[in-house]
Amino acid sequence: MDYARFLRLRRPLWEDFGRRLASLRETREMRETGARHRRRPWRRREPAAPSYAEVEELAFAYRQVLHDHALAANRFPGTGAARQLAALALAGTRRLTRRSAPGRGLRYFVVHAFPGAFQRQLGLLGLAATVFGGSCLLGLVLAAVQPGLGNLLLGPRAVAGLAEGRLWTESLTTTVPPAVASSGIATNNLSVALAAWGGGVLAGVVPLYMLVLNGLLLGGVIGIAMRYSMAAELLGFVAAHGPLELTLIMVAAAAGLGLGRALVAAGDLPRAEAMRRAGHDSLLVLLGCLPWFVVLAAVEARISPDPSVPVAFKAALGLGLLLLFFGAALAPGRAGDEADAGSS
Amino acid sequence: MADFDRESILALDNIRLELPVASVGSRCLAGVIDGCAVAVLLVLWLLLCSVLAFWVSGAWGLAIGVAGVFLVEWGYFAGMEIATGGRTLGKMAARLRAVTAAGAEAGAGALLVRNLVRDVDYLAGVPLMAVDPLARRLGDRLAGTLVVHEGRAPAVILGRVPPGWGAREVAIVESFLLRAGQLRDAAGRDEMAGRLLARVERDAPELLAGLGRRGLEGPVGMLRQALAAEER
Repeated sequence: MDYARFLRLRRPLWEDFGRRLASLRETREMRETGARHRRRPWRRREPAAPSYAEVEELAFAYRQVLHDHALAANRFPGTGAARQLAALALAGTRRLTRRSAPGRGLRYFVVHAFPGAFQRQLGLLGLAATVFGGSCLLGLVLAAVQPGLGNLLLGPRAVAGLAEGRLWTESLTTTVPPAVASSGIATNNLSVALAAWGGGVLAGVVPLYMLVLNGLLLGGVIGIAMRYSMAAELLGFVAAHGPLELTLIMVAAAAGLGLGRALVAAGDLPRAEAMRRAGHDSLLVLLGCLPWFVVLAAVEARISPDPSVPVAFKAALGLGLLLLFFGAALAPGRAGDEADAGSS
Repeated sequence: MADFDRESILALDNIRLELPVASVGSRCLAGVIDGCAVAVLLVLWLLLCSVLAFWVSGAWGLAIGVAGVFLVEWGYFAGMEIATGGRTLGKMAARLRAVTAAGAEAGAGALLVRNLVRDVDYLAGVPLMAVDPLARRLGDRLAGTLVVHEGRAPAVILGRVPPGWGAREVAIVESFLLRAGQLRDAAGRDEMAGRLLARVERDAPELLAGLGRRGLEGPVGMLRQALAAEER
């Protein structure tokens, strides 16, 4: 077949396919801005649902365009028709193929996806807790044997305050309004969690570093407070928000360790594929943790520093929040649903 | 698979498609534009907060301001890409789009993943893109995505072809007609068009019949008319 005949016979089909693709986009945009979309503005864009006959015709035309593209690339390379067909075939592939089903909604995430992903990562959470606990213990020992650590970690003013029976946290909460403190704490904790998770792609080094650093700091600070007999006051301050906050940091770091494990020990899979699967699973865990940081920030800014709230209430609240989180994360959803993993 | 380039994908019926993968240069350009967009958004947000401060109490205004800055910094890229099907303002300007490794539209999960590791990619992303044939940064590897050039480059297609002409001759004439309008050397351009017209006259003189009487704009116009060239 010569070029001119090829164009004469096949070009109407390409133009028709291009028009159909464009109309598919227009229909989709109309539906998205239409009544259905206005009622549920939070829903992600979904492909419009053309009729069965339309889908069949479009798929048939796409197949013909693909075949024409293969022929043109082979027989008429470098020509305008070959370039036009390549662009059409790519546009068709992008519009007509999807690798994953659209999201299944918030309820599915809360009831099935998050608990499933969390329970698949329990082993890593155990590892993160061990690293964190070990570092905390090390910090405690260091604070006991190195009296100068207090100046290094907290600064001389805070240490002087401890000697006078005042916690350094008082100044933090009395100089900054609770709303500002709450917002700042939430964004800081969210940033730490995101960095711990994202840093996992560097073979898990960043989450490990964060676990060790935070453990050392916590242990060191408790040790210094113990030295000045202020540990009870410090534990009273952190009782409401501390248990869950530390747990969430460990969970985010464990999710990051999952990414690192996929890179270091990919098993039978290519590293890129192993990381993609681990990335999806750990992302579900991370997304499930993020809203809790906002709740915790409000507790940390409003309840934790309030001296009128009894320590017993703070401890009960801290324990309650922790149980609530684990209740949601360990709920008997579909823990073994591997379809959630790797469907990004 | 071994015969295929890394940039190729296999579509339906095992037909090979070349993905126009965006290189590190165009991606950095898009990144710079996006950086400017984030800076502008932050300035606008802070201005808005300072206006809102007249109505909202100082502490709450500051709290909303801090939360907004966090959302802009962490949410701009993922939010834009999810809302526009893989494009940010920078990508729109550079005509790029994030797609799956199979050339399909990327889902929200993949777009979220590729953007949540952006902080790490600020350190390692550019060298990784430079050495990878598919110009993937860490986020792309993690999410299984690629960034490709989108949109069609303009092309000229000949409606009539002299007998005996192969793909090489057609491609040369189409390429010349596509670029003719941009050639500054008018004399050189007309000379080239004249030589191509001579070739057409030799192979298919019937295509030139009657063109001289129509008052066409020089040899380029004649060539375009003789071969029924259309710009697409």
